[in-house]
Amino acid sequence: MSEVTNLVRPAKVLVTKIGLDGHDRGSRIVAAALRDAGLEVVYTAPWQEIPTVAKLALEEDVDVIGVSSLATDHLLVPKLMKELHKAGLDYVKVIVGGIVPDNEEQDLLDAGVARVFHPGADMADIVGTVQSLAGEAQNDAARQL
Amino acid sequence: MPRNEQLALPGFDDWQAAYDKQLPDGKTVRNRSGIEVQPMYTPADWDGNQYEDKLGYPGTAPFTRGIYPTMHRGRTWSQRQLIGLGIPKQYNERLHRMLKAGTSAISMIPCNSIYRGLDADQCDPLILGTCGTIINTVDDMETCLDGIPIDEISTALNDPLPFTMLAQVLTVAERRQIPWTKISGTANQSDYISHFVANHMFYRLALPGSRRVLLDHIEFAREKVPNWNPMSVVGQHMQQAGATPAEAMAFTLSTAIQNTEDCLSRGMDLEDVLTRFTFFFDISVSFFEEVAKFRAGRRIWARIVRDRFGISSEKAQRFKFHGQTSGVDLTRQQPLNNIARVTAQAIAGIFGGLQSLHTDSFDEVLSTPTEDAARIAIATQNILREEAHLTDVIDPLGGSYYIERLTDQMEEEIVALMEKIDDLGGMYKAVESGWVQGKIGASAMAFQDRITHGDETIVGVNAYQVDSEVELPVKPLDRPAPEDIEAFIENLAKYKRNRDQDAVDRALDDLGDIANDNKRNTFEGVVNASRAGATQSETIAVLRAELGFGQPLVVA
Amino acid sequence: MTKSELSEAGRRLIERLYAGNPAALSRAITEVENETAHAASLLAAVQKSTGKAITIGITGPPGAGKSTLVNALIGEYRAQDKTVAVIAVDPSSPLSGGAILGDRIRMAEHSHDTGVFVRSFASRGHLGGLSRTAGRVIDLMDAAGWDIILIETVGAGQSEVEVADIAAVKIVVSAPGLGDDIQAIKAGILEIADILVVNKCDQPLADQTKRSLKAMLKLKRQGSQDIPVLGTVATTSEGLPELVGEITIADEKQRLGTGLVDRKPRLRRNLAEALGQLAKQRLRQNTSPEIDALVAALESGETDYMAAAETLLDGGYLGAVADTAARARITGS
Repeated sequence: MSEVTNLVRPAKVLVTKIGLDGHDRGSRIVAAALRDAGLEVVYTAPWQEIPTVAKLALEEDVDVIGVSSLATDHLLVPKLMKELHKAGLDYVKVIVGGIVPDNEEQDLLDAGVARVFHPGADMADIVGTVQSLAGEAQNDAARQL
Repeated sequence: MPRNEQLALPGFDDWQAAYDKQLPDGKTVRNRSGIEVQPMYTPADWDGNQYEDKLGYPGTAPFTRGIYPTMHRGRTWSQRQLIGLGIPKQYNERLHRMLKAGTSAISMIPCNSIYRGLDADQCDPLILGTCGTIINTVDDMETCLDGIPIDEISTALNDPLPFTMLAQVLTVAERRQIPWTKISGTANQSDYISHFVANHMFYRLALPGSRRVLLDHIEFAREKVPNWNPMSVVGQHMQQAGATPAEAMAFTLSTAIQNTEDCLSRGMDLEDVLTRFTFFFDISVSFFEEVAKFRAGRRIWARIVRDRFGISSEKAQRFKFHGQTSGVDLTRQQPLNNIARVTAQAIAGIFGGLQSLHTDSFDEVLSTPTEDAARIAIATQNILREEAHLTDVIDPLGGSYYIERLTDQMEEEIVALMEKIDDLGGMYKAVESGWVQGKIGASAMAFQDRITHGDETIVGVNAYQVDSEVELPVKPLDRPAPEDIEAFIENLAKYKRNRDQDAVDRALDDLGDIANDNKRNTFEGVVNASRAGATQSETIAVLRAELGFGQPLVVA
Repeated sequence: MTKSELSEAGRRLIERLYAGNPAALSRAITEVENETAHAASLLAAVQKSTGKAITIGITGPPGAGKSTLVNALIGEYRAQDKTVAVIAVDPSSPLSGGAILGDRIRMAEHSHDTGVFVRSFASRGHLGGLSRTAGRVIDLMDAAGWDIILIETVGAGQSEVEVADIAAVKIVVSAPGLGDDIQAIKAGILEIADILVVNKCDQPLADQTKRSLKAMLKLKRQGSQDIPVLGTVATTSEGLPELVGEITIADEKQRLGTGLVDRKPRLRRNLAEALGQLAKQRLRQNTSPEIDALVAALESGETDYMAAAETLLDGGYLGAVADTAARARITGS
């Protein structure tokens, strides 16, 4: 389909938590900030399983997935990246927010995560990053089709 | 209560004039609970003639100054560091080290998989044992407690209902021929309402089932484990989730009222049950507000027990609480600064009159706490007690015009919220409808906005940033060794092969029957299942099948 | 009559959609939801394959338990081995235009199931409890072969009557003790409901709520005795088999001899949407002095909006090429 260079539709973002932890204050605050910036946010309960997240991203046709991890669930993110690839969703951009030790951040980036946000991250930075990643994703998705 | 002009002293107006002149654009300051804070307080703000009514003496109603006559002079707070890591053997080794370092009570945090009701063979091994100890069977519990005198030391279990960990501890006691009457401690995570509202982590059974299983547990404990505190009402989760200090106190007290009413409708002896109620709170870095929160909470609870439930026993009116320094206040930026934050939080808790204290490790915001950092957290408590002499005087802030005025104002704010919850039909109904969740969500957003707009300064986050971070003196955390986890899973398989499967099946079938028979006690069935050799996951699965799988109500 | 031509990429997309590829359906929905250049051709291409699915609209006041009921219905239909697609609509923020789409939370137990496809929509300012494109999205899901299509509205409690135009079976959900919200239901939705459900009927006052709904029906509708009023407890699936039975009956009533549903109401609604959209677009593009004159007439009070709109339509004024006669009529020259 036609080439697009910028957002062709409101950015659609999935805000979710995988693994075992249930603390969701961070994901809720980020979801609300994204909504207030005009984005459409699909919000899930915690404890999503990785195949479920891929299925959900596919059905909802989201541009960006934000994974919140306060415990150690970020260790599962590389598996999520593989699952997205398997589902043909390489164009979907993934960011991780929460408590990620420095020595493990690189593993996430190597696995294809676009950006890791730490506690105290500037909300405007998060929103801006998501918006620009959404633009890229829509571009890439259009090319893929 | 407005300022009492009759008590105003002549010099006040002169001071006010000088203040206004020098600070013409002085802005309004509010604490986290939204209460306006004045630049100075005088006798006009708090009438010392109210002393007997409002404060009294430590150990007597209304307990504003503390619940025991001797407070920290007689018995210092318990140093209860929450720990749990890796596999049972590692937990046991660390526990022995911590006891040596000065920890005076045990706590046990299981792996997140256990909160979800999953055994090690049902999870991704990658995240097993990264946040707590994997304890699936009574054998695991036995390893955790190896060499620990459980008849002499109190145990706090992070054990949400249906309390499989307590069942395992009781089974270990049986194996060691220790009578259950000697088991003491607290079910830290028995407050299903706070889990439904604010910490979904611990939420395991649907609301009505949760309500029943909690009451079964309280009834069982009062009958058979008399030194166990079966009810810990938790405000910590709600404040961590974003509730203001006043909201957290109000929601906690309303939850305690709900539980008390539920115990009453079961026909329990309230005086007996209430002596075993404990509370668990977050201590934020908003120093005076936290002190006032705890003082007000003590006063309100004593009044509720006396007037609302008609219990005159002062023992039942005592508001015993554990405090944990707030992890939400800690920052990733300049992480060593967190030691200062934790210190301020801990002082607020101590001045607030707590009975036990967990101080967060400064690296909690970076990873699961490392052992070195946990040691600093314990040392902080020791320094405050031994070197700073914080325990020399009981309620040392009592009588401060500011603290007394603020205590009154916090009390008004808390009581108003509690009345609203009464209007909604009580806490159970208020959380079922999502009202409480909505309040907490709104407060979390409002606080975030204050940070974003610079109305709230967070050192190193929106002010005082530095270019280069200090190198951390502690090593990054090691994740559990994959071979340890693998061995644990193999061991679990072996455990299942070697147990008397018929006995397990019978115990689990019986647990299912109990769940469908309101006259029988579910916790009895949980203990039987543990004794027969069922894993925690198998036990929880039966109750979930019969009583419903808990899904928290998420108010987006 | 002509229709929009399908591009090569569009043709491939439709092929994959017919083959049951959920990614293709998802992408086609995105095109339609965002009314891209391809939307019209995609829709035209699938029209002939629609009319098979049972389409069920679920509306009612907030707090009645719509999402939970949808979740329970999914469970019932999955037990019968029927595939289920869900359209869940949440309101957009009027300030930012953003939205939090959280309905999936209550459908979590079906999140692994490849026989369930859930798509969330923001209402994007569209009143009436639906997103503007919901009717067209149904066509795509229907053509993609989903057996059951559930449409859940935002639950604004009013003006949700338009669910009537796009779903064959209309369910209105209420719950005991919703008090004033029952008044909102009365406002018009009762007249279109095929089935009334009192959810949470294990609570006190359930019977009273049922009785008052029946009384209201009697006032509002001829033949109200034929409209079932059912009690459910969605959290435990109590009453769900009965509800599914009534849905089947209501659906069959609308099937034609071919076994296909009479889709004319839905087509008419979609046509109305398309007409409105096109008219707006044409009006905006039209810079002729005649339109200016009409606006001036509005300004001076010589005419009103409805009369002016009538002039535009009746006069053929929004045609791609406006005829001179119409021009003369408007300008009076």
